[in-house]
Amino acid sequence: MSEIQRAIAFDQPKLAAIHGGRGYLIKGEFLLYDDSSDVHPSGPITSYEIRAIVPDQFPRREPQVFETGSRIPRNPDRHVNHDGSCCVTVWEDWLAREGDKSFYGYVNGPLREFFFSQYYFETRGRWPFGERSHYAKGLLEAYAEALGIPCKEAKVIYHLRLLSKQWPKGHWACPCGSGKKLRYCHRNELWALHEKVPPWLAKRMLIRLQEQLDSRRKDKPRGNQRR
Amino acid sequence: MTKHQTKPAKSHDDILEEVGEALDIPESKYEEAKERYESLGEWLDREDSSISEYDPEISPQGSFLLGTVIRPESDADEYDVDLVCLLNGSKTEFTQSSLKEAVGVEIRLYADANKMKEPPEDGRRCWTLNYADDVQFHMDILPALPDEQSYKLLLEERGFASLARDDSLTGQAIAITDKTLPQFNRITDDWPQSNPQGYAAWFRSKMRVQLMEQKTALAKREMIMASVDDIPDYRVKTPLQRAIQLLKRHRDIMFADDGEDKPISIIITTLAAKSYNEEPTISAALQSILRSMDEHIEDRDGVAWIASPVNPAENFADKWAEEPKKQENFNNWLECARRDFALYLRASSFQAVPDELREALGSNLVDRTLKYALGAPAIVSSTSAEAEELKRADAAIEDIQRSGPQSKPWLK
Repeated sequence: MSEIQRAIAFDQPKLAAIHGGRGYLIKGEFLLYDDSSDVHPSGPITSYEIRAIVPDQFPRREPQVFETGSRIPRNPDRHVNHDGSCCVTVWEDWLAREGDKSFYGYVNGPLREFFFSQYYFETRGRWPFGERSHYAKGLLEAYAEALGIPCKEAKVIYHLRLLSKQWPKGHWACPCGSGKKLRYCHRNELWALHEKVPPWLAKRMLIRLQEQLDSRRKDKPRGNQRR
Repeated sequence: MTKHQTKPAKSHDDILEEVGEALDIPESKYEEAKERYESLGEWLDREDSSISEYDPEISPQGSFLLGTVIRPESDADEYDVDLVCLLNGSKTEFTQSSLKEAVGVEIRLYADANKMKEPPEDGRRCWTLNYADDVQFHMDILPALPDEQSYKLLLEERGFASLARDDSLTGQAIAITDKTLPQFNRITDDWPQSNPQGYAAWFRSKMRVQLMEQKTALAKREMIMASVDDIPDYRVKTPLQRAIQLLKRHRDIMFADDGEDKPISIIITTLAAKSYNEEPTISAALQSILRSMDEHIEDRDGVAWIASPVNPAENFADKWAEEPKKQENFNNWLECARRDFALYLRASSFQAVPDELREALGSNLVDRTLKYALGAPAIVSSTSAEAEELKRADAAIEDIQRSGPQSKPWLK
C-alpha cells in the first residue's frame, strides 16, 4: 500500500484512492473528527464530499481539492472557486513551516483545518484561524510570514532572489536595508532562513509571486479587490 | 465468559465487547472440553498405561491456551481443541514413529474404553479424536518430547542468543513428530520442533498491563477478595484478545467457502500482538492493529516473512511462496477488515453498525447483540444533536488554535 493510501486507509474509510495517470485520485466523504485518531460515540462531527488529485511528486507539488457536494457556496469569499476547487492554503507557506510534511500530515493539518474553517464559517460566520487576502496580496502575506519579514513586495522579492541561490551572494546588499554587504551584516540570519526555505522552494515562491503580480497588473480591477 | 452486569451500551467499545462475548466459547462448552482432555490425561497416566513411566502430560495449545477461541460459524461446525501430549523421554530412546505409536496405542485404548464410535485418526503430526456429533468438538493431540537444549542451541547458532537465554520463552520447547519426513523411523537428533508454551508466554507479555487491569476490574466487580494474581487468565479478556476474536470472526465469514487458503489464525494472532501497545479499549486496539499489522511482515530476500516471536528463523507465512493465493487472500482480507471496522469506528455512531461490518461479522450475531445491548432506542432531538456537533467543533478548533494552525484559506 502506498503512503497516500495508508494515510487515509483507517482514518478516512469513506475516501477511496486510486492511482492513475500521474497521481492519485481520491473521492468520497471527508470526515471531520474531534481528534485525528478519535472514535466518538456519535461518529464524526460532520463530513464534506470531496474529490482530490494528489500528484506523484507530492509534497513538492500541491494537491488539488474540490468540494463536490455543493455544500459550500462557490464564492471567492468562501475560498472556493466556481469549479469547486478549494484554496486550502498557500502551499509554499505550509512547506516552509516546521512539522510533518507527509500526506498524512497534510490531511490532518491543512485539509482538516480548511474544512473545520468552513464548518465554523457556516455556523458562526467567522474564520477561526483567519484567512488570507485573495490572489497576489494573499501570496505576499503568506510568503512574508514564512520569511518572518514585513509584507512589502520589494522586500519579499529581494529575499526570495537571495534565497534562490545555492549560496546567497555575500557581495549583494543586505536585505535589511543597512546599505552594507550581506557578508558584513545579516549573513547568519540569512543562512538560517536558507535552511528553512531552501533554494527550490524560494524559486517556486518567486515564480508564483511574479506570475500573480503580472496577472494583477494586466487585470487591474481584480488587483484592487480587498478581503 | 466475562459477562458483565448488563447496562445499556454507550459506546463503540460496549458494542464490540458484547459482540466479543457472543463469540466466546460458552462456559459449559469450555468446561466440557477441559474435562475431556483432563480425563484423557488421567488415562494416559494411569497405572496400567504403557507410557506411564514417561509421566505423560496433556496441555492445551493454540487459541485455547491464548484465550482467543471463537465459536464456529454454525452449530454444524466443531471447535478444534489443540493439545500437546508431552512424554518425559529423550530422542535417544524414541524414534518419531515410536513416540507417535506409543501415544497412539493409549489413545486407541482410550477411545475403545469410552466407546467412541470412530477410532483416532493418524494425522501428519497429531492424533485426532472425534467425539459424537452433539459434543461439537474434536481434539488434535500432538505427541512431543521436551527439547529445550537443542532448541536453544539452534537459536544460538542462528544468532538469537538472547532469546535462547530467555527461559520463559524457550525453556519449554518441544520436539514433535512428522510422518512425512525421511527420518521418521530413525533414531536421530533431527526432529521438528515447536514451542507453544513459549509462544503463549510471549503473547501474555504483549498484554501484561491489560491482563492485570482486567483482573483488577473483575475483582472489584465481583468483590473477589483473593489476590488478583490468583485469578486465572481465562476469566478475563484483554482488548488484544477481543480484537483477535473479532478479526478471526471477520476472516471466518469472509472465507466461509474457501477454508483452504484463508489467512491462518497464527498469522493474525502474531501480527495483531506485534501491533498491540497495551491499548485499554477494543476500538483503540483494533485501530492500532489494523493500521499497522502488515508492517510486521518482513521482506527477507524477496520472501515474505512473518517471524515466530520465539524462533525468528521460523516463518509462519512459509506457504505463501508456493501458494501465492494465500498471500493474496491475506492482503484482501486485511483491506476489507480495515475498511469494515473503520466504517463503524470512524464513520458511524455506536448504535449504527454499518451493513459492511454487520455482514462481515454475521448479521444474525450482530443484530442479536445490538438488540440486547441497546435496549430501547434513546430519542435524541435534532437540535440537541446539532448543539453537540457545535460543541465538539468548538473544542476541536480550540485545540488547533492551541497547537498553532498550519494554514489559512486563500484564493488563487
